[in-house]
Amino acid sequence: MNKLMRHTFLWAMAWLLSVSLQASASQVSSTAPARELKELTLMLEWFVNPDHGPIIIARQNGYFADQGLTVTIQEPADPNLPPKLVAAEKVDLAVYYQPSMIHGVANGLPLAWAGTLVATPLDGLLVLDDSPIKSLKDMKGKTIGLNIGGIENAILDTLFAPYGFGAGDVKLVNVGWNLSSSLMSGRVDAIMGAYRNFELNQLAIEGRKGRMFYYEENNIPPYDELIFIANSKQHDKDAIRRFLRAIELGTQYIVNNPEKSWEIFRDYSPEKLDNELNRRAWFDTIPRFDLRPAARDAGRYQAFADYLQATGELKTQVNTKDYMLDF
Amino acid sequence: MKDSVKPFVVLIGLLVLWHTLVMAFEMPSYILPGPLAVANSMVENASLLWEHTLVTLSEMLLGLLLGVLLGIILALVLVYFTALRPWLLPPLLITQAIPVFALAPILMLWFGYGLTSKVVMTILVIFFPVATCCYDGLRHTHQGWLDMAQTMGGNRLAILRHIRWPAALPALASGLRVAVVVAPIGAVVGEWVGSSAGLGYLMLQANARLWTDQMFAALTVLAFCSVTLYYTTDRVLRRLIPWQPETSQE
Repeated sequence: MNKLMRHTFLWAMAWLLSVSLQASASQVSSTAPARELKELTLMLEWFVNPDHGPIIIARQNGYFADQGLTVTIQEPADPNLPPKLVAAEKVDLAVYYQPSMIHGVANGLPLAWAGTLVATPLDGLLVLDDSPIKSLKDMKGKTIGLNIGGIENAILDTLFAPYGFGAGDVKLVNVGWNLSSSLMSGRVDAIMGAYRNFELNQLAIEGRKGRMFYYEENNIPPYDELIFIANSKQHDKDAIRRFLRAIELGTQYIVNNPEKSWEIFRDYSPEKLDNELNRRAWFDTIPRFDLRPAARDAGRYQAFADYLQATGELKTQVNTKDYMLDF
Repeated sequence: MKDSVKPFVVLIGLLVLWHTLVMAFEMPSYILPGPLAVANSMVENASLLWEHTLVTLSEMLLGLLLGVLLGIILALVLVYFTALRPWLLPPLLITQAIPVFALAPILMLWFGYGLTSKVVMTILVIFFPVATCCYDGLRHTHQGWLDMAQTMGGNRLAILRHIRWPAALPALASGLRVAVVVAPIGAVVGEWVGSSAGLGYLMLQANARLWTDQMFAALTVLAFCSVTLYYTTDRVLRRLIPWQPETSQE
């Protein structure tokens, strides 16, 4: 009898325990449901490189997951593909260039600024340090190699205006991605479309020294080199806000931990990223990342769009309220 | 229906299909502009297109001329200098195995960003089909004709001039037809990698500014050049080589 009672008691206790465990489990799940991860696709403008530092750090450090996001990073074959895919709603977000986005908006693409990644121009007019071109006024009649970005004529007209000539007084040659090699081989006298954090380092690695005429120091209104774009008609503002929070955390981590963040970035894809050029570019890019990626400066954007309009680059007028998301 | 009318009927049919697709699927112009938008862009940018077409056409025609000459010389060398054949064939095949797109950046650095590099690209693309077709034609001369020529005391040059060359011309004509169709690829790829003018350059500019209609306008002009070049070559070849199998069947 004792044995039976003991068994019955144990059974009862076990049952009560399991019921209470189930109840507490269901209580937990009803008060704090497992957060469903929101999926976002992000298309870069080019293959992964240090310019994408905050994105990679946010992913590797789990900031996206902390914000309830699963971000799929895609790399395009053509840098002009991302805006078309965003416009066609094939990707949620893309990394793109501010001047080109304004071009896209002016051409009727439903694009919108959705955050900033690199907050200053990276581009500039690059010459070899031992070149006879000492000042922009020496550029008259020279050959400039470029990777067509779409606003070359406006930029050159502005750069040369103080010296009494314009883009028509230089020879422009599209050299595709052979920027450094065309400059070093002497095929061209200067290059534009070259980045201060990359091409200058590339030249240094090859034993050459470059000198850059910075746009923002030569009358070109400041602009963001890399921004995030979304579809202006179809977008999930809440998810984008969380995405930008993760990017902000990524940038903060990089600024606070330059060396450690380089190691994390490098280890994302060591066979592609672990090289001297990327290492140098990493440290040169850190001061360029936007510490407040969601901060919106409509006045600055309008000033740049007005500049493009004044130079004849834009066919139609654009207004920031039509192409800047407000957080 | 007259043969000369048929291509135009096909062209109009394609334009109608294009327009219908754009209308039916309400395609935004940045994905696929309609034929009317492209036509409009062609009118608006007529002088710009003309200026760049002349550049691309000159690259294509010069490349064709030199590529065909090189192809024929190569075919003759392969036929008459049999000892050289095993040495020449592998490098020839290698030039075709490497995609021109991969080779283009290097060619630009060697030959510069002007006309020469584009002509070299075009030659690279077309000399092989010309050489192989001409080589095949020269090799497969009817043995009976050769025997008869030899019996009649013809020397090598006379046999080439009167027997082998005329017999090889239909095959060479096939190579030429391929060459004129692929010649724009060489020129335009060259322009994509390094140039300051030409339809390929114009396409890059339009693409960077997201002017899809202008890009399609340049593409349409390029297609028109290719088709015109093809039909002109075909017509000339039919007239010059009336003993071509396809000509004689008609």
